[in-house]
Amino acid sequence: MLDMLFTGWGAFWMTLFMLVPFAAIFFYVVYRKSVTDSGPGTTPPATMSRIEGIWLAVVFVVFVGVNLGSLKYMPTIKAAHAATSNQPLHEVDVSATSWAFDISNRQIEAGSTVRFSGRSKDTMHGFAVYHPDGRMLFTMMLMPGLKNPTTLVHTFKEPGKYKVRCLEYCGIAHHAMQDELIIARNN
Amino acid sequence: MTIATAIIQKTPIFGKMFAVDKSTGLEEINAWPALMIMASFVWLVVAGLFGFVMPATQIFDLNTDHFYTTLTLHGAALAFPFSFQLMMGVGLHRSGGCVGKGVTGWLPAMAFIAMNLGAALLTVGVLMGLKVSLVVMYPLPLVGAQMGVWSMNAVVVGFSGIYLVLACMILLYPILVIKMLFFGKKRPDLVLSERSLNDPGMLGMILSALTLLIAGTPLVIVGTTVMAALYGIIPMSMAAWATEPVVFQYAFFIFAHNLMEAMALMVMSAMYATLPLYLADGTRKLFSNKLANLALWILLLTSVTSFLHHFITLTPNQPAVLSYWGNIMSWGTGIGAAISIFTVLATIWQHGLRAEPGIMAALIGWVLYILDGASAVVTSNVAWSYQLHGTMWQSGHTMTVIVAMSIMWMGVLYHHYPVITGRKLDPVLGSWFVRLFTIGGIGAAVAMLAGGAAGMPRRFAAWNQEGWMFYGNLIVIFGLILGASFVVYMYNLMKSREISAPMGEMARA
Ligand SMILES: [Cu+2]
Repeated sequence: MLDMLFTGWGAFWMTLFMLVPFAAIFFYVVYRKSVTDSGPGTTPPATMSRIEGIWLAVVFVVFVGVNLGSLKYMPTIKAAHAATSNQPLHEVDVSATSWAFDISNRQIEAGSTVRFSGRSKDTMHGFAVYHPDGRMLFTMMLMPGLKNPTTLVHTFKEPGKYKVRCLEYCGIAHHAMQDELIIARNN
Repeated sequence: MTIATAIIQKTPIFGKMFAVDKSTGLEEINAWPALMIMASFVWLVVAGLFGFVMPATQIFDLNTDHFYTTLTLHGAALAFPFSFQLMMGVGLHRSGGCVGKGVTGWLPAMAFIAMNLGAALLTVGVLMGLKVSLVVMYPLPLVGAQMGVWSMNAVVVGFSGIYLVLACMILLYPILVIKMLFFGKKRPDLVLSERSLNDPGMLGMILSALTLLIAGTPLVIVGTTVMAALYGIIPMSMAAWATEPVVFQYAFFIFAHNLMEAMALMVMSAMYATLPLYLADGTRKLFSNKLANLALWILLLTSVTSFLHHFITLTPNQPAVLSYWGNIMSWGTGIGAAISIFTVLATIWQHGLRAEPGIMAALIGWVLYILDGASAVVTSNVAWSYQLHGTMWQSGHTMTVIVAMSIMWMGVLYHHYPVITGRKLDPVLGSWFVRLFTIGGIGAAVAMLAGGAAGMPRRFAAWNQEGWMFYGNLIVIFGLILGASFVVYMYNLMKSREISAPMGEMARA
């Protein structure tokens, strides 16, 4: 369930989950109090404070729930999990220059856990990996001039061709800065 | 007659929309704000034209260079000389009338010149080849010059423009607001709608001006050092620290993020001031001033450090604990928003609403702003950031926040327009404006967020992959509707009619 929520489309539905009830209540209140009956409200102050309390409590619960739920998906936590599990960690170094990637290993076995370490040699670049079905799995920001690489741990489950794209605008051939990872079937 | 009034009079087409009413003795409050607002609409037209060329280059498969040129020009024109300048104009008019002080002297003139000359120079720089996007993607300007993609001259011209725009936003405008609110003598003849500084309608102005000054200072220091080196005043080696990408990026986003928050504070404040004037029972008061102010303070305190969410995907170079801090602070702004949602709706519920186009524009602009807030906190989450950063989601967020705030100001302008020009706007055209931007604004926002959710990259000249063109087409359709709403708004300004009643009296009503 949470695996579905913390995806691109999960974010989209989460946004609508916050927006739609708000918009519905907004248009109801505005319509009712400007068209149907614009007279002064008769709701007693005690009821108003109760509504206020409930509303803020709901917001608070969503706030805490989402951000606790997301902890598990934080890269640092993922990396810590990978380090404590017995699975071998495959190291892949990525070096970005306008407008190409240098990737130390483009052939990875399905099921293996990879730590990508990325650097940029000139300007800001991104390193985004797309699933063969077109959705983006993750993106990393590669900033030039840093001592340490940007890192991320990811486990590839399904075999296939995974597109790599730069997602930090880097000049006139930015869109052409692409590469590919081959995730081979595990035998 | 002031210089500002004279410039408006001499400007073709747009001058007619904002011709200042000289019969009321309020020219000192009206003239410079009117000129700034007029100029902002000129830039809106510029931004709109570039905004349509941008997707057209993709649909008709034109040279990708044109996409990146229009991308840079569209974003820059929309954010600074349109949106910020509109806010500056309406905001100064509000401040003047609330504290009874004129918008006169060299400060408004300098702010106006810095913003417009700066934006013009940046445009020239971009047309000379500097395609660096709205956020300059430092060190891209220098790297592009080294690679020979554009000339060093284009960098110097473009950076000079950006520097002037920043000088207006970080120094001149905030100082002008602070000067008006805290210094000088109140002139009873200039007081239109008196407010104390602790009024929610005024508090946001103060917090916002201070935020711009404080959050902008690191960027002023870094920017001044880089500019001095570019002009050869100091050797490049002395500017080495400031040209470090990490230094520039953080200084830039501490400001850029808080710029958006400052604009939000200012527009919420204007909303808190304007809404009570349109309550059906004539109460002229918010449901609770205390709650309104609390929301502003929460917004301020949580927003200052939430800029860290821009660098979540840089982990571990940005320590994970800072990323999580940025995450929590961003969601904290949501608590502020929740309180303002309650305040606004409770005010309408208890006192009824006179649903005139101006206040409806401000209110629905605010709905768009809340929609944007939801998309913003979602992408600021440490998990979602990895799936959304650098996608169309981010463009959707940026565009929506700018459009939402601009529409709120355009709604508030409805209230100020008769005072400035002695003319009134047509309510039928007004409600068409509201209808069209509601469909166009919400539609374009949702289409862009959906594109981002599907992995469609932003600032990317090849939408014809993975079926992203579908979202591109939706964005164009809703963008056209949004554009049409702005055309209707400006047509309304052009066709505004003289008010028969003496304006001096009405302005003070
Ligand atoms: Cu790149």
